[in-house]
Amino acid sequence: MFKRIFEWLIQPLGLIAVGIALLALFSLAAYGLYATQQPPEQPIQFPHQTHIAFGIQCLYCHPGAAKGPSAGIPSSAKCWACHNQIAKTQTSALLAPLKQAVESGAPIEWVPVAIVPDFVQFNHRAHVAAGQNCENCHGDMTKVTVAQNPQVFNMGWCLNCHVKSADDDQEKLVKLSDCGTCHY
Amino acid sequence: MVTLADLKISEVKLSEEHVGKWGMVIDQDICTGCQACVAACAMENNIPFVGEEDSGYGRSMHWIRIERFWEGEYPEVKMTPNQPMLCQQCGSAPCEPVCPAFATVHSQAEKLNLQVYNRCIGTRYCANNCPYQVRSFNWRDYERPEPLPNQLNPDVTVRRRGIMEKCTFCIQRILNAQDKAKAEGREIMDGEFTTACAQACPANAITFGRMDDPESLVSQLAKRSHGVKHLEELGTLPNVTYFKGG
Repeated sequence: MFKRIFEWLIQPLGLIAVGIALLALFSLAAYGLYATQQPPEQPIQFPHQTHIAFGIQCLYCHPGAAKGPSAGIPSSAKCWACHNQIAKTQTSALLAPLKQAVESGAPIEWVPVAIVPDFVQFNHRAHVAAGQNCENCHGDMTKVTVAQNPQVFNMGWCLNCHVKSADDDQEKLVKLSDCGTCHY
Repeated sequence: MVTLADLKISEVKLSEEHVGKWGMVIDQDICTGCQACVAACAMENNIPFVGEEDSGYGRSMHWIRIERFWEGEYPEVKMTPNQPMLCQQCGSAPCEPVCPAFATVHSQAEKLNLQVYNRCIGTRYCANNCPYQVRSFNWRDYERPEPLPNQLNPDVTVRRRGIMEKCTFCIQRILNAQDKAKAEGREIMDGEFTTACAQACPANAITFGRMDDPESLVSQLAKRSHGVKHLEELGTLPNVTYFKGG
């Protein structure tokens, strides 16, 4: 039986069929990979570039980045502190979910974009203290509306920077390339 | 040619020179065997509840356990002091060289035995090679009924099925304390933080701290003459010292 299938496969029509199947599989895999790198659907099309253009610092809305592991996503109360003084907030369709959230007291369910797997323990504070700027990992936010990842957050990418920043300091290199620094 | 005697001498030398970074002292004379450390460890490290059935198969999961032994023949049996047993964080660990995936590696920075969960493929070779029998294996994705997921420690990975795990000396607390100390521009103070088991111990039988700091409480205690290290003759260079009959 297997011999008959093999014989059918090596004739020109069979080879074309195999080629098409492989191509379909490859494009499916490529699409899957592409789909994982797309920014998720957010409840509000939050325009980062507009807020930065007004001169608001990253740390004003994400103050956790300088203090602890998580940068944090601001609560609707923080948004409202500025937005209730802006007349456009009352009429804008874009801001309707914010108005609704503040009135009903329900939280806005933002979808985290820059995430690492559960087995990675990331600490923002250490990175900010080491002199890394937000845009080194999160990209230039003056150019995007909703946040998106400028690169894939994988271990090679992390380790590349860790090794580079250790330079010739052997002790620092040991600490920064130790498995236990991020995985526990 | 290297003889057995030479090897023994070098082994003794090694253990005399060996000073780990983090160490623990457990006083068996004041341990009451209350299991508070076992519970605290399970809470701190997201250790799943295995349940009756799997426990019956010998799949119970604990990073620390209280061992009880008896001396003598019935009816003249005498219980020896309770013995909390946890990963000894060996300086020369038998579990490490056998891992085919390099999932259990020695941390050069913290001088601890690490278990890298995302590398582990679950061969269980390390557990079979551990003379202290302190490694536990996730045989299943054990259920956590509501509201137990709310109690999970976010600083510790929630392990999946098919992964080996063991005591980490609460490395998340070590790194947290280091991070805090660094943010405040100082060194970690002795006794500033401790492991979950030591924190929970009502009798203060467990002391944890820096072994390489001669001023720290744990290194002072470890120097006492009746301190014993378990299975030291295997050359594992354990970092946990036990007191019994002091």
